[in-house]
Parts: sequence; structure tokens; C-alpha cells
Amino acid sequence: MGAVKPMRRTTTDTDVLTEEAVETQRPWNVVVWNDPVTPMSVVVVIFKKIFGYSNNKATHLMMTVHHEGRAIVWSGLRERAESYCVKLQVAGLQSTIEQEQ
Amino acid sequence: MVGRHRLFVRRRDGRVEVRLNEMGRAVAREAFGHVVAAERDPEHEWHPGLNPPIDPSNDQDDPLATLNRQNEIATNAELAVMTLNEEFLNDAEAWAWLSTLQLALRSTAIANGLLSDEKLASCDEELLQFVHTLQQYLFELAECF
Repeated sequence: MGAVKPMRRTTTDTDVLTEEAVETQRPWNVVVWNDPVTPMSVVVVIFKKIFGYSNNKATHLMMTVHHEGRAIVWSGLRERAESYCVKLQVAGLQSTIEQEQ
Repeated sequence: MVGRHRLFVRRRDGRVEVRLNEMGRAVAREAFGHVVAAERDPEHEWHPGLNPPIDPSNDQDDPLATLNRQNEIATNAELAVMTLNEEFLNDAEAWAWLSTLQLALRSTAIANGLLSDEKLASCDEELLQFVHTLQQYLFELAECF
């Protein structure tokens, strides 16, 4: 008996919609990058001011940026991620957004 | 220019006292002035530092987001310029100073390729002095928040 060849299912509109929904639901990360000139205490102040983080959380994130070169400082909807990224850039930090893999 | 006393002090009434002398304020004036000019002039050497990508995976960022950034940077920088000679700053003014000084510091670093500790250590004395002065202002102003 010959092997049964698996049938390739045709992509349907429902599949496309589902993939788009998954794509949309993946959160967007706000990333802050290290630089050699910015004082550490300034980074902490900016995180507290923009996100309302506690001193401990802001300091932890700043140390992550310092030691690892970058840190994800917020995750969520794209529009808010973009807005936070702009606020960080306005405050003079190097920041970008990226969608979670 | 920078004495041993603190340069910025948070007072009991909530205001931030600016204790910079004339030379100290001249450095701030230079920094704020460059940020205002760079935001308006695409040819200014600090312009790229004020306009980094938001989403590097896209060829072009959302125009609304870049316009918001431009407006907020200009608003902060202009407020900082307007309050240059003030003895006391309220919270919004102190935040405008901190944001604009930090933008000036980062734009200076980008414009002069000071993107590593080694590059920073080997740059010329006048530039290094400017960077250190901005860093000291920022360090002391951050203490007020």
C-alpha cells in the first residue's frame, strides 16, 4: 500500500485573520539602550517620571541597561509603546520599540 | 564655573533653586540654544541626535509620533531658554532643564562619536570639559527629583 500523501490545506480567509490576530496580540516592547555618557541617576529619574516606577524598579532597570546594554522597560499595545518611546527620546534616552518574538 | 556648593537645591516650598553663576548659566545657555537650533535645522550637527528611529524594523516612523517628539523637544527647550536667568524653577521648568540638558549631552556624544568609554576618554580637552559639565549639572539636578 502506498503512503498516503498528506493533503496540503489551502489557506483560507479565516487562517489569515487568525494569523493577523496573533500578530496583533504579540506585545510591543519599549527598549532602552546603554550609552557611555548619561549619568545613572538621570536614567532612574526618567524611568520614575515617565512610567511612575518605584525607585527599586527604576534602579533595577537602569542597572540592566548598564550591564546588558539594553533593557525592556515596558510591554503592551503598540500605540502606548510608541508613545512611551517618544517620551523617553524627548527626555534624551536612546529608546526604540520592537515586537515580542 | 562650578564651585564646591551644590548647583541645584530642592527647597521646602517645592521649587528648585538654581545656584549657577554667570559662567555656569552660559554653559546651559549654549546647550539649550543648540537644542532649539538643532530641532529646527536638519543641517545642524545635533539634529540626528534629536531624531533617532522609533521602530528600526520600519523604513519610516509614524509621522504623528515624530511630530509629537519634535513638538515636545521644542516645548521643553524653549521653556528651558525662557527660564535661563531664573533663580527658582517649578517642577515643569526643572523637568524641561533636565530633559534638554540630557538631550544636549547625548547629541554632543553622537555628533562627536563618543559612543564608547574609550572614545570619551580620548576626546579633546575642551569637548571633554563640556561633557563633564553637562554631566555634573544633570547629576545634581537629578538629585532634586
